Parts: sequence; structure tokens; C-alpha cells
Amino acid sequence: MVPQELIDGWLVTLMMGARIVFPILLVMTLGYWLQRKLQRADGSSVLTPNRRVMPLWYRRIMGELNALPAWLPTIGVLTAVGVTAMIFRLWVGLGASTNLNQAYPWGLWIGFDLFMVAFSGGAFTLATLVYVLQMHRFHAAIRPTVLTGLLGYTSVLVILLMDLGRWDRFYHFVIFPNINSALFEVSWCILLYTTVLITEFSPVIMQRFGWHRAMKIMQKITIPIVITGATLSTLHQSSLGTLFVIMTERLHPLWYTPLIPALFFVTSLAAGLAMVVAGATVSYWVFKRSLPQRLVGDLASFLPWILGIYLVLKFGELLGTGEIGLVWSSGYYSVLFITEILLTAVIPIAWFMSKTARASRMLSLVGAGIVLSGIFLNRFNAAWFALKPVEGYTYFPSIPEILIQMGVICGIIFVYTLVGHYLPLFEGTTKRGEEEEKRLAEPAPAPEAIQPGKAYHTS
Amino acid sequence: MALTRRGFLKACGASVAALGVGAKFAPPALEPGTRSVPKSPQKTNGVLIDTTKCVGCKQCQIACQKSKNLPADPKQVTLCAVSPSVVELRNISADPAKPEIKPIKRQCMNCVEPSCVSACTVGALQKTPEGPVIYDSNRCIGCRYCMYACPFGVPTFEWEKQFSLISKCDQCAERTQAGKLPACVEACPAKALTYGDRKELLTIANQRIYDGKGKYVEHIYGENEIGGTTMLYLASVPFEKLGFPTLPNEAPAEINATIMHSTPTVALGMAMALSGMYWLIRRRDELEAQPAYNHNEEGGH
Ligand code: SF4
Ligand code: SF4
Ligand code: SF4
Repeated sequence: MVPQELIDGWLVTLMMGARIVFPILLVMTLGYWLQRKLQRADGSSVLTPNRRVMPLWYRRIMGELNALPAWLPTIGVLTAVGVTAMIFRLWVGLGASTNLNQAYPWGLWIGFDLFMVAFSGGAFTLATLVYVLQMHRFHAAIRPTVLTGLLGYTSVLVILLMDLGRWDRFYHFVIFPNINSALFEVSWCILLYTTVLITEFSPVIMQRFGWHRAMKIMQKITIPIVITGATLSTLHQSSLGTLFVIMTERLHPLWYTPLIPALFFVTSLAAGLAMVVAGATVSYWVFKRSLPQRLVGDLASFLPWILGIYLVLKFGELLGTGEIGLVWSSGYYSVLFITEILLTAVIPIAWFMSKTARASRMLSLVGAGIVLSGIFLNRFNAAWFALKPVEGYTYFPSIPEILIQMGVICGIIFVYTLVGHYLPLFEGTTKRGEEEEKRLAEPAPAPEAIQPGKAYHTS
Repeated sequence: MALTRRGFLKACGASVAALGVGAKFAPPALEPGTRSVPKSPQKTNGVLIDTTKCVGCKQCQIACQKSKNLPADPKQVTLCAVSPSVVELRNISADPAKPEIKPIKRQCMNCVEPSCVSACTVGALQKTPEGPVIYDSNRCIGCRYCMYACPFGVPTFEWEKQFSLISKCDQCAERTQAGKLPACVEACPAKALTYGDRKELLTIANQRIYDGKGKYVEHIYGENEIGGTTMLYLASVPFEKLGFPTLPNEAPAEINATIMHSTPTVALGMAMALSGMYWLIRRRDELEAQPAYNHNEEGGH
């Protein structure tokens, strides 16, 4: 028999899910409708008129815009809506613009930050594989992944700024250190690591503008930079977990453990790899460039191992504390926990152990999506869903909170698309439809520009 | 269950250390009772709040607001930015027909090992050796981490403002420094509040429990909870009924410190491991790249 508590738990979860899924569906429908409205018969956007009467410079710019994907203006509009909401938030203060309260001082935004940092973990995971462990065959994926990481971290910084009551004092964490504070360490590491990501990404810009001398210097320092980046990532990926170590009373025991830093670190490796796998497929469709699927499958084959370690740690801890019984007996929390574990680890392990899944772009994308949704749930559980309730308080994000969140996500997509369009982001990747078979025989050549130990040729 | 929670925490600390993402040393053994002696062995002051003597007049709440230059507002019943101390009127009767109201003064517990001080990103919250946990509003960035860290949900946020800060009771650090009593203690007409040395307060509290002959529950709330607090409570009904959280004796601040202090070790370990791996793999590839006859030739010379 299924315990009654579990059934109640499902109901509560479903209702909560509906409250989240509905607004998202609403926004998506709205976006779709907007896009249809803005589209001409030939697929170009109305926001980019191409009339003869317009001056030449205007037509040039518009010509450029028309070469971009037709959905980009929609994304741009949503970003602008988000920026407006940000100004509103900064103007009226946190109380008037958000639903955060005494018992839930953090909410949607912190959940997003936690997930986004794990998601952007792909940048350090891949860089470590390629440069430190010297698996050069994955080299072609470095640039897109580093860009995703960079944009991810930038969005985290923006959202963190929104979250500060005294955002005008954001620099205080630099000048007033508290070495016991996990949040202090996280802020420092994120700041430094963003700098590392900018450095790692700079060759793309240097190549675009032909700054060969600078590129040569970059090649020389790539290895130390990558090692610094990986070290910083280890620190802050785990410290984001340490944030919850002090919250002994608030976090439900199914999630609370002093091991949480280690769990956060391990899941960030998985989220990072899943991000690379998903990104490869998405860029295959959007930009028609990607890693050969064989290599994507290679990357995915690391996932069952990492997630296996995660399962061992997680259940080892629950067995060790004797809290394993809570998995079944905590109602709403049980449902959250079981769903999370299924999505994060159980299903993906089985999924990616199958050769068929690893060989197919579609199946790899779905598998990576499952891992990411599991880790998404994990982070939101820690930051929001799995907090013990406090009498008299509930939290659900306000409209400005959701708009800002949406704006930031759209901003990432917007900038990424522009960069993919104008900068040499996909060097060394396989073109869609290009004889992939032939490429498969030999690993995709790395972009010479940033391969260590090789001189850069101008040709 | 073979392991106690505390034993497990220690085991965890050790395994985290083994993983390289955690403790450098296992937390020291935590014995209940000994924890009430604060880290700073000097005199630590505190306030003993005898809820059985409280008459619910809210004079302490008003005095506190006045001392903080806030408008007097006795209507507040939950801690908030304009009331760092409140008198909560709590109904402890299960029978809705016969309510039994107990007034409970609430404010920051000014913990001996405060979680909020560990958590604060910029060190705006500090523990003073005399007892108070003080707040520097010029440093605070309003990140609200302290609100989650505090096991009592004490720090409150100025939600209504454009630029918001935290507020909480600081045991009247400025007044006590100047030799005065905390405003609330001074104002209490029922002598429910006693200010003094924490050890002496514990002695007084024990004496009252003994003399009361069953009037009090045998529990001084704050003696051992999360490493001890300097605001101590006496009550006639179990503290859970009065809305006090049931807390372990370990200070979360200590588990946190153990993990945080291992940061340099983890950083160094990770950087060295990665550099080592890079060097090894590169060396291996270099050796493999050398054609075999090269070795033979060299051997021949
Ligand atoms: S009660 Fe909360 S706010 Fe007060 S010192 Fe303790 S942890 Fe800090
Ligand atoms: S809100 Fe202020 S006092 Fe609280 S942790 Fe953040 S900086 Fe420190
Ligand atoms: S000690 Fe001072 S700040 Fe704290 S509640 Fe009493 S009057 Fe208010």
C-alpha cells in the first residue's frame, strides 16, 4: 500500500507544480503569440523593416538583423521587459517588488543562482578534461561552453545584485571579509572565476580582430588559468552547499547534511557535463554546428559514474544518520525527494548506460535534460521547497521577480545568439550535413588559435 | 541506529575531509553542559527572562523601541524592523473555548556562538566578549543570509524601504558599555528580567527552579541550546508549547567553521592535484611520442 502521507504529498506537489507551470506556460504562449504577430510571411520580423525609403545605414543594420534568427527580436523584447522590471525593483525596494518575507528571505532568485552556477560548471569541467587531462578531442566544444559559463555567471551576478537590500554597497564583500561566511567565499570565487572565464573567452575576440600577439601570450598562460579556474570552481561549487550547513533548523533532514558541500560539488560536475551535451545538440539545430555525436556520447558516458558517486554519498549519509526512513514517511518532502533522486541520478544513469541513447542526438539531449531538471529541482529544494514551513508565512514569487528572472534568461540567449553569429565561436566543430562520417574517423581538429604549445598561423 | 547524530556529524566531517571538500580537523567533542561556558572565558553578561513573572504589560517593548529611536508601538506582536523586541501573547490551551494566554518576550538570543555572525557575508554582525551580538549598519549589504542562519528567525529586514537593512536586539551594547542596564530590563515593572553575569544568572535560575518546587519546568532555555545563549528563559510549561524551537547542543557555527576553515587546504590540494595530473599526462604523451629507435640509439652510445 502507498502510505496516505505520500498521496497527500503528491497532491501538494502537484498543486505547487501547477502554480509554477501555469505562469511559465502563460509566458511561453505570450511569447509565441508575440513572435507570430511580429513575423512577416517570409519569416522576417516586423521589427526589422527593409524599406527602400530608409537611409542606407539603417538598411544595413536592418539587413544584419534580418540575417539573425527570426525569434531573436522576441527574446530581445522579453529581455527589455526584464530590465524594466529590474529598474522597478531597484526603485521601489524589495518589499514592494517581491514576495520575499521574514520566513522566506530568499526565493526564486537564489534558487536560480544555485542552479545557474551548477549549470555553468560545464565550463570548468570541460576545460579540465581538455587542458589538464589533455583529452584534446573535445576541444571544439570549449568556446561555446566557456561562453555559456560566462553568460551564466554574469546573470548570477546581476541577480545577486537585485537580491541585495543595499545593492549600492555590493563592493563591501571585497573590503569587509568574514572568512567564516560561505557567502563571502562564494562571492569572491564567483568574482574571480568570472574574470577567469573572460580570460578564457578572450581568444575568440582576439581572433576576430586579428590580435595575434595577444593570442600567443594567451596560449602560454592557458594551463595556469584553467587550473586556477578549476580550483576556484571547486571552492565555490562546494561552498554554495556550505551556505546550507548553518541552516540546521530550516532545511529538511532529507537535504540537510554537513556533507552538502560535497554533494553540491559532485552534482555540479554532472550538471556541467549535461550542459555540454545539451548545448552540443541545441547548437546543432540553431547554429547548425556542433561536436560530432560520437564525442558527445563520450562526454555523456562520464555521467553514470559521477551520478553513481552522488547516489552513494547521498544514501550513505541517509543510512549513516538513520534518516533513511524519512524517504517514505515525510509526505510532501518524500515526493520532492523521490522525484529529485529519480531525475538527478536513477533515470540518467540507466539512460546513459545505453549505447543507443549516447549515439542519438535527440536521446542525448533528452537525457541531459533529465539530469538538468533533477539538479534544478535539487537546488530549488535546498533554497525553497524543502525548507520547513514557518507558521503564518508562505512564499510564491511576485510578478516582478518572475519577469526579472525571465529577462535574465532571455538576456543570456540573446547575447549568446549574437556572439554565435558574429564571433568565431564554433571553430573546429562539425557543420550540420557536412560529411559527418568522414569527420568521425578522426577527432575534430581543435581551433589552432588556443591549442597550447602550437604557434598560431595567420591564414 | 548505531550512530548518534553528533557521532555522525563527526564521521561526516572526517569523510568530507577525506573527499578533500571539507574538514581539516574533526570538530572537538561537544559535551552538553560544558558548552554553556562561552569560548571567551571572561565575564559574559546576559539577561534572565522569567516568563512566569511577566505580566504582559509591554513596557519592555516600548522601552526598547524608544532606546532605538523608533516610534513606540506596543501593537507589534512579531519581530520586525520597527520592533526588535516584542511581547508575544501565546495561547497554550488546546481547548479553543478556554484560552490560556502566556506573554512571552522575544528578541535576539545573543547566542554564545552565534550562527548569524558566522554567516554574515561582510562581518556586519559581531560577537562581543561581554555578551552582546552587535550589528554594524554601515557594513551590512542586506543579503539576508543571517535571517536564514539564525535558528530563532530573529534578524528582521526593512522590507518597506528602498534601501533595506537588518535590525535586531543587541542587548543594548551601548547602554551596558556605559554602565547602564538594558532598556527593557530597566523598564520591566514586574522584575521578570534580570541582567548580569551569565554564570550567576544560571545559578539564580537553578535556585528559582529548586525553590519553586514544581512551579517551573526543569529546563533553562538557552543554557545549552546551540552552544548556549546569553538570553536565558525560565517557564512553567514546556518550551515547545511556548513556540521555542527544540535545538541540539552543538553550535551550527562550529560545523560551519570547520568546513570553511578547510578552504585553503582544499584550494591548495585541488591546484596541486590538477597541476600534477597535467604534468604526468604530458610527460607520458611526450615519452610515447618518441620513436622507439631513439631509445635504442641512445642506449647504443
Ligand atoms: S539569536 Fe539569531 S540573531 Fe541573535 S545572536 Fe543568535 S543567531 Fe544571531
Ligand atoms: S543582511 Fe547584513 S547583517 Fe545579515 S548577513 Fe547580510 S550583510 Fe550580514
Ligand atoms: S536588550 Fe535592549 S535591544 Fe534588546 S530587547 Fe532589551 S531593550 Fe531591546
